[in-house]
Amino acid sequence: MVLELQKPRPVWQIMFSTHHTDVGYLYLVFGIVFLFMGGVLAMIIRTHLFFPGQGVLVSDSATFNRIFTVHGLTMLFLFALPVANGIGNILVPIMVRYKDMAYPKLNAIAFWMNPVGAALLWLGFADTTWVSYAPYSIIRAPGPAADMFIFGMKILGISSILSSINFVVTIVKCKHPDLPLRRVPLFAWSMLTVSLMTIVAMPTYAAALIMMLTDRLGLSGFFNPFAGGDPIAYLHLFWFTFHPEVYIFLLPAIGMMYEIIPRFSRKPLYSQASGVFAFVMLGIIGFASWGHHMYSTGMDFTTKVVFMIGTLAAVPASGMHVFNFLATMWGGRIRFAAPMKFAVGGIALFFSAGAGGVLNSAMPLDFISHGTYWVVGHMHLFLIGTIGFGFVAMIYYMFPYITGRMYNEKLASAHFVLMFWGTVQTFFTQHLLGLEGMPRRVYDYPTEFTSWTQLNQISTIGAWMIGASFAIFLASLIYYSAKGKEANMDDPWGIGGKYYYPVEAKNPHGGHSGY
Amino acid sequence: MGHDTAEWVFVAIVIAVLCYVGVDSWIVQKEVEAVPADAEVIKVTGQQWFWSFEHADGTKEISTLHLKKDHAYLFEIYSKDVMHSFNIPDWVVFEDAVPGHTNHAWFAPNEVGTYPIQCREYCGLLHYNMRGSLVVEDDKS
Amino acid sequence: MKTLIAISIITLVALALVSQLHFAHAQLAQQTSAKQYINLRAEVWNEFFRMTTAAFTVGAIVSGTMIWLVWRFRESNPKNKAPTKWEHLDDPTAGSYEEEGH
Repeated sequence: MVLELQKPRPVWQIMFSTHHTDVGYLYLVFGIVFLFMGGVLAMIIRTHLFFPGQGVLVSDSATFNRIFTVHGLTMLFLFALPVANGIGNILVPIMVRYKDMAYPKLNAIAFWMNPVGAALLWLGFADTTWVSYAPYSIIRAPGPAADMFIFGMKILGISSILSSINFVVTIVKCKHPDLPLRRVPLFAWSMLTVSLMTIVAMPTYAAALIMMLTDRLGLSGFFNPFAGGDPIAYLHLFWFTFHPEVYIFLLPAIGMMYEIIPRFSRKPLYSQASGVFAFVMLGIIGFASWGHHMYSTGMDFTTKVVFMIGTLAAVPASGMHVFNFLATMWGGRIRFAAPMKFAVGGIALFFSAGAGGVLNSAMPLDFISHGTYWVVGHMHLFLIGTIGFGFVAMIYYMFPYITGRMYNEKLASAHFVLMFWGTVQTFFTQHLLGLEGMPRRVYDYPTEFTSWTQLNQISTIGAWMIGASFAIFLASLIYYSAKGKEANMDDPWGIGGKYYYPVEAKNPHGGHSGY
Repeated sequence: MGHDTAEWVFVAIVIAVLCYVGVDSWIVQKEVEAVPADAEVIKVTGQQWFWSFEHADGTKEISTLHLKKDHAYLFEIYSKDVMHSFNIPDWVVFEDAVPGHTNHAWFAPNEVGTYPIQCREYCGLLHYNMRGSLVVEDDKS
Repeated sequence: MKTLIAISIITLVALALVSQLHFAHAQLAQQTSAKQYINLRAEVWNEFFRMTTAAFTVGAIVSGTMIWLVWRFRESNPKNKAPTKWEHLDDPTAGSYEEEGH
């Protein structure tokens, strides 16, 4: 049902709305709030590791283990997924020219499951690590934290399946009949791909969680070796969901860059077809590589080779995205406003992280890199470098349309410079730490290797820069949404041309007729 | 040159690089997985939160492992409770200890010295302190 | 564009050949020295350095291209004063390459 848009609307009207843009705003606010909560945990972790052997900030390893577990869960499931869903909710129905999501109530229900899941994760504060490997999570992890973790993840998993079903039906069944699927904008394509991937991948993990719960209750022994089970089975089920999940986190960010880069290059996209092809390829091949997380669990040579090939096969498709971005910029007239800065920075870091990923997939290098800080650096390069940059770019891009006001370009530049430098310094250094052999998920490290201390301190200084950049971000989000200059809604950046999707998101059913 | 020639060239280059990566790591992995026939078996057991070792002659050691230079050793890796990961970073020895499974890793130290042993898979409270040391000695006896 | 592609191909082929020669040489050296066991850590670290060389070479090409792109096609570049041929459209991003006689 169409809500009459008044300015300003009371908050409860947005909260209890089922309109797609309102649910999108809720997702966005939720995601941004948890970005900062997870960010505070990250700052505690890095600051703690600045001083080895003293326990300055966190006095015991039990608390530390809980902090990095909840940091991971928060950033992945309470920041990355909600923000992708938020932007998806706002833009996808407009991109496929439908009045709302296919099932508006389901959409609101899917969102309102998130706060419940978040409450369980945060109040439980489990110490299982986000991967919660059996048998630790079954026989040793203290309850009720671990049980609350299981129920929290369960609820978040159901929520993401519900919203995925909604996206698939909206895009495939509800798109305008005049709009062939191949002409659907690439951001909507990315949401379609990740929604299909979620529907295929997530039930496996949902099953694994139930099995883990009954194992914890002592009713079964699926993953418990002391009751005849096999922990490796859990690893297979877990990574079968969560390697595709990597692409589920990643592809919306790529889709957002596809919206931003042609706009600020004042040029059509280089190739819609290759973008669609690369999304579909990643969606399929993403399922062929989960075993590369398990090389060291006693896998035999043939299985390793199969998973290495599956991993390498995903690289050309990722490369096609990078090529598509660069070819779009080529010959354009680029305005480096904040969204474009973050998008281009994101491409650069996406490429670096991808090159590191190729190294990871080479079987012998697993001896060096697996389970060390190399992996931490690699995965954060993806998560901050690509997903974080893509999302921040999109938040700046949508800012004028959501708030009606303009952010401060100078502060946004400062945010970009600090965040880019900080990301490079923190996570490239962590790659080196990994090569020095420092294991991940450690509360403390020996001081006799001076290089460990030095590299950790360099990395922590980079993390503080990221922290400072996000303090600027938070302050400018709050200040300029209330006190910023009013934005020119037709063309906030003065780059010429019409922006159909965000404009219509601001004023659904009132503005242009779309494409 | 057509609109998409450049992209095809790019994809071809990427695939060529990937083939190189794949073949090269296939060769090296095949080579490093071949355990020498005369390797001496050392049983390694991980438990929260220390490593214990048993030599072929039945000698047992805890946390500190003494080995001889220029001998090949095959580690049989067990776990008594949760997953651990047996790792000697300086010798690129690395394999998970999974309860209910027996995993293998081998190496042949060719330098005398003391090297850290650590756990590289999260195993709970004192995971960070699950460290030991490897002492490689000259083969005098 | 063509020269760039040519240079990248030549670099990559050279890179692949050099490291393979190196590898073959190391293999031969190992056979002749009649060593009893392969040096596991040397094998793995050599592989690592070959892979990093490849990664950094490709990385240099890609990030070099990106830096050049950003420098050349920024709107403040004096060479870039003329509007792109899509800017007269209602929405430049909705143009296509074919109609414009590319």
